[in-house]
Amino acid sequence: MDTQTLSAHRAASTGVRMTVHSSKTLKVTMATGHDLLAKAGSMIAYDGYVQFDGAPANLRRSAEEMVSGEGGKLMLCRGDGDLYLADYGGDVIVLHLDNEALSVNGATLLACDASLELTIEPVKGLAKLSGSGLTNLVVRGTGWVSLVSRGIPMALDCAERETYVDPDALIAWTTGLDMKARRTVKASALIGRGSGEAFQIGFKGQGFVVVQPSEDTGDRFKVRG
Amino acid sequence: MAREFQRGHKAKISDLTAGTDLYVGVQISGPGLTFDISCFGLDADERLSDDRYFIFFNQPKSPEDSIQLLGAQAGDTESFRVTLDQIPAQIQKLSFTATLDGAGQMSQIAPGYVRIVAGGEEVARYSFDGAEFSTERAVMLADFYLKDVWRFAAVGQGFDGGLDALLKNFGGEVAEEEPAPAPDAPAQIPAQTQAPAFAPPPQQAAAPQAPAPAPTFGAPAPPPAPAPPAPAPSVHTAPTIVGTTPAGGVGTPPGPPPGVPPQAPAAPTSPQMFTPPGAGPQTFTPPGAPAAFPGQGQPFGGATALAPVPPEANVRVVLTKYAEAPVGDRWTEQNPQLVRATLTKGAPILAKQGSMVAYQGDIDFAHKGSGLLGKLTGALTGQGMSLMRCAGDGEVFLADEASRVFVIRLQGEQLYTSAQGVLAFDEALDTEVRRIEGAGLHGGGLFSMLFSGTGAVAVKTRGVPVVIPVGPATYVDGNAVIAWSAGAQAVTTTALRLRRSGYARQTSEAVNLQFRGAPGNFVVVQPFEV
Repeated sequence: MDTQTLSAHRAASTGVRMTVHSSKTLKVTMATGHDLLAKAGSMIAYDGYVQFDGAPANLRRSAEEMVSGEGGKLMLCRGDGDLYLADYGGDVIVLHLDNEALSVNGATLLACDASLELTIEPVKGLAKLSGSGLTNLVVRGTGWVSLVSRGIPMALDCAERETYVDPDALIAWTTGLDMKARRTVKASALIGRGSGEAFQIGFKGQGFVVVQPSEDTGDRFKVRG
Repeated sequence: MAREFQRGHKAKISDLTAGTDLYVGVQISGPGLTFDISCFGLDADERLSDDRYFIFFNQPKSPEDSIQLLGAQAGDTESFRVTLDQIPAQIQKLSFTATLDGAGQMSQIAPGYVRIVAGGEEVARYSFDGAEFSTERAVMLADFYLKDVWRFAAVGQGFDGGLDALLKNFGGEVAEEEPAPAPDAPAQIPAQTQAPAFAPPPQQAAAPQAPAPAPTFGAPAPPPAPAPPAPAPSVHTAPTIVGTTPAGGVGTPPGPPPGVPPQAPAAPTSPQMFTPPGAGPQTFTPPGAPAAFPGQGQPFGGATALAPVPPEANVRVVLTKYAEAPVGDRWTEQNPQLVRATLTKGAPILAKQGSMVAYQGDIDFAHKGSGLLGKLTGALTGQGMSLMRCAGDGEVFLADEASRVFVIRLQGEQLYTSAQGVLAFDEALDTEVRRIEGAGLHGGGLFSMLFSGTGAVAVKTRGVPVVIPVGPATYVDGNAVIAWSAGAQAVTTTALRLRRSGYARQTSEAVNLQFRGAPGNFVVVQPFEV
């Protein structure tokens, strides 16, 4: 059988905890003692002996709801083997935190090491935006994190100048940035003729903001300007 | 007469010179610094898919001599001969780079340049100096790239790693597959005789790295970290390590029984890395599947041993890959799905409502409600295209549901677009809503926008578009058409019948357009019917 056209897409086994296969698929090397939290339903294949459970109890109430946003769940994956995850063809980004913290817009988290600490932290000054569905999920510790982006993401350096981001396009940002809400609501917008860009989040300080080239996040975000 | 380039400038080579046999000279120097100047021949995905097109001190020419390294001459630190019309079709871009050999950083360099000489006459020159860089250890100086025709771009972008980090950068996915770099780095470096030549080149590649206390993510080639203390030997041992890891994995095989069976066949292939390709049972052609080799070598069952964290997984390093594109002109394609408009006072743009994903600077967004255009497009097209006006001073990033974005620059020409295809455009352009001639058609896709004047239009397509030259009988689905040149006349057709017979189950609601026009006109169609 001639499978040359397909062989370029052969999965490469590397032993690295997380790798990206042709930009849309996350490949996780599972090992005993290295559990993984993943978005429920994101598993597309696995090779080896992998078990899937509900999220651990201490996460159920807080992080889980926020991550899914739509009533989905986080799942705990255990075992040995290779696990393949994907989220509707979104671009996958893999990061390794080395005793660092990263703020993630909850809906964009695809998977992370269970050894990482997940917490929901309120953002000062962003109360106004609470209706926009943005969740500030902080991932802290040492381990691997994988995010999913609709389209090729872009990292903006906030140190250069203050950066404003559409909350629907926001994927992640480094912690320690000053955040503030900005509303560009004008008189004309109040009578239903807004520019379509009613809210932005401003970031300032040393760090990066990652945005996706899409605002299509489904009905997770119901309130729009 | 040499044309002076600034960082970010681009030009067609045919505009610079009629010749295709070019001399490219690079002058770069600095007190106590030595440089390796190389040329990467990259494919359409900007990957070094064929390592015979990595032209450097150890491989001074490409197989058909289209790119040759000539050495120092005529005041240039390094020089190349590039014969554009002999470059094979798969090579779409030549990237000229300079990397530091030994300690130092790019900010220490003295003023230098990249120049193109054709027929003994200098036709282009891009000058740079150390002030443009900081602690980088490599710099991508300039590109030749194929976009319809060969073009020249002055890049001047610093790069934090050394030569092998650059290699990885161009090598694509290998950057993420961790133990791969060891078997892989050799794969990218010329290997005239397949297997035996594997070991030495990485050593050279790694050598420039070794003396330098690698800055943040210098990432010396061999991350299979088990024995990193001595850099050079570790390169040698790296393949062995890859080989032993599976062994370890196999040593503990009974653990996951379901996993083992499929893996067993994979195990024998691991020696493939040491023996010349071809010895393996697979039918790979050696250059074709370099990426498949390293992975294949590892039995899946060996997964229990987690490899060390590759340095390129660090947050900063990953994000650097997605960093903002270097400053270009007013409209820059940041990536295929994201466009950046640099706004200045008094030159606002109009963009599709809600298409802003981020901005920097002082920019105001307002509903574009007044004027003929806003009313007409809203009321007539049925596409609900509403615009917003972005004014101020700064940079706006625009995107729409991860559609592909293309910037079309008009200089007095005219362009028609369908309402669904417009992402943004300069307010300075004249716009007009035109109704496509033809009778008996119902809503949607009947109206088009005509742009004329000087400025840019950013069009968006779902998926990679097709550009079709207009012939005597060119038919296009009205729901898939994005843009067409003004010389092509669009007429609605009675092809509904044709369509019905051609596709039995297709509803007859789609609007077909026929285009007629002189040769040279084109239609852009997206692979997605709205």
